[in-house]
Amino acid sequence: MTDLPAEMIGTLGLGALLVLLIARVPVGLAMVAVGIGGNYALSLALPYLRFEPYLRNFKTLLFDTVSSYELSVVPLFILMGFLASEAGLSRDLFHGLSTLIGRIRGGVAMAAVLACGAFGAVCGSSLATASTMGRVALPELARLNYAPRLAAGTLAAGGTLGILIPPSVALVLYAIIVEASIIEMFQAAIVPGLLAVLFFLFVIWLQVHRKPSIAPLPPRIEGTERSRALRRLVPVMAIFGVIILGLGFGLFTPTPAAAIGATIILLYGLALRLRAKRAGEDGGLSREGLSRSLLATANTAGMIYFIVFGAEVLKGFLTRAGLPAALAGWAGGSGLDPWLILIGFLVILIVLGCFLDSLAMILVVVPFFWPALLELNGGDFVSASDAVFGMDGEALKIWFGIIALVVVELGLITPPVGLNVFIIASIAQSTKGAGGQNQSRAMTDTFAGVMPFFSVELVRVALLLAVPGLCLFLPGWLAG
Amino acid sequence: MAWVVRVEQIARIWALLAGAVLLAIMAATSLNTLSFLIGRFTGPFGFVPPALPGYEDFVSLAIAVAALAFMPWCQLQRGHIAIDIIVSRLPETISNMIDKAWLVLLTAVCLFLAYWLATGMIEARSDNAMSPILGWPRWPFFGPGIISLLLWANVCATQIFTPSERAQSGQ
Repeated sequence: MTDLPAEMIGTLGLGALLVLLIARVPVGLAMVAVGIGGNYALSLALPYLRFEPYLRNFKTLLFDTVSSYELSVVPLFILMGFLASEAGLSRDLFHGLSTLIGRIRGGVAMAAVLACGAFGAVCGSSLATASTMGRVALPELARLNYAPRLAAGTLAAGGTLGILIPPSVALVLYAIIVEASIIEMFQAAIVPGLLAVLFFLFVIWLQVHRKPSIAPLPPRIEGTERSRALRRLVPVMAIFGVIILGLGFGLFTPTPAAAIGATIILLYGLALRLRAKRAGEDGGLSREGLSRSLLATANTAGMIYFIVFGAEVLKGFLTRAGLPAALAGWAGGSGLDPWLILIGFLVILIVLGCFLDSLAMILVVVPFFWPALLELNGGDFVSASDAVFGMDGEALKIWFGIIALVVVELGLITPPVGLNVFIIASIAQSTKGAGGQNQSRAMTDTFAGVMPFFSVELVRVALLLAVPGLCLFLPGWLAG
Repeated sequence: MAWVVRVEQIARIWALLAGAVLLAIMAATSLNTLSFLIGRFTGPFGFVPPALPGYEDFVSLAIAVAALAFMPWCQLQRGHIAIDIIVSRLPETISNMIDKAWLVLLTAVCLFLAYWLATGMIEARSDNAMSPILGWPRWPFFGPGIISLLLWANVCATQIFTPSERAQSGQ
């Protein structure tokens, strides 16, 4: 051990992390264990990196990590999503949109994609978007005899919109680790997010155009049912609009936007509840619904905070081992084409995305690649005209973040660990008439159904690489 | 197993209390933003409603309490995300053993963190560390964090000693 160079210990640490992850150790715990164990190994190899002073960091490291004001936006966005789901906003959104465009062939699946996109505007997580919209839309698609593959594929792919369409927890975490502006990241994600919606709609149209029987035309919704669905859509769209426009135009910073959004949805849900009670119906946000929202928030936010803390501990080890600097040095001096290295990084992210959780990738892998990319571009202070990628460091930060996130999101729909696919398959399994009743059939249908969407996602990545303006135009324009 | 039920109930109540803290953060942030927005429109007429003084201080301290209090419930629900590529395909005995091994490790990590947080609390008290604007002492906010970590360790312990079929679910 004492003869090993620090970089080698860092690399062995990464190997140990991979082994622990494969052994089903929770991601946060694996990172903490490797971080502490790695620092111990470093102290044995390099006596000046003493272990005892390192341990004393833990007196405040945990508290300092979780008391970050910037991170407070994460539980608030999560709470907003769960409140919206419990108050029935996701259902109103889907029913309203399917009433509007359901008469087009494939329109209900398209409505599901649009609803996922809009729900992504109040929910920062892909998994929450997939599970919420899956529960709402999948039974409806099954009732209308949509092909199980189309239905499940649409929802699994649609769920990925939650990770990119602002507000997004993943974007917040990325912005914090590379010290970018969260607002600018949100603004930059709007066009790529809308592009994803358009691409997904195109995929549905194409599939339905080639084989109309996979999406039968539903009966026309008339009279009071139609007006009720449309009436309920208006406030939902207004709430979602306030949040996304407020963020997009910089009226709110992220934490206030999340708090205001959650407050409006809470009050709206309570008002719906009051009205439903008067009419003797069930609906709106009940006390049990509020409790469920809080507990679900505790569950998801707890998971994220533990990963964030784990990443902080691991980062300390990897930085002490000098790995990010070594990678940056290698990238700068390798003589390889910078574009090739960038594409190599993205391919690695796609491959790792098949095995790793998306948040862990953003918190662990992306910080590795970022310094190397900055070095390749010409360093911290390079001007756009001299830079390899034709943009300064700040713009590169935004552009790379968006592309990395799109690539990471692909991991949610690729085997063997496509979490969205698992969620939708399990909902399909419990939905009568959708995807058959056995698990492997539901999984096969969902993976097969998601493949056309995966293909257009690759096209989108290529487009974002070729035209950086798709990410950079809006933040630049809004900044004047 | 009465103690298992008791720990589960406490973790649930603790998470709901953390949820209440989150609602308080939500309300304080909304009020602060609202007064800021009103001020933007009424400012030219000489009326600027006061913002909540030290609001960021409050959010930082309160969110730390809430975030740590989420952990035991998250553990109870097996919410800490893990990646299952191979382990669930192994024989049940081996898969259970692996599961118990990381639960033991996690219990140790929780106790380790609780110990250091307690040391940090004592130090923050003796140093008279305060939040920058409100001037609130920081050390009392470490207390709920220590309780959360001990409760988290307790939840792990219950999962070590309870049948593992529940342990398989969730991921």
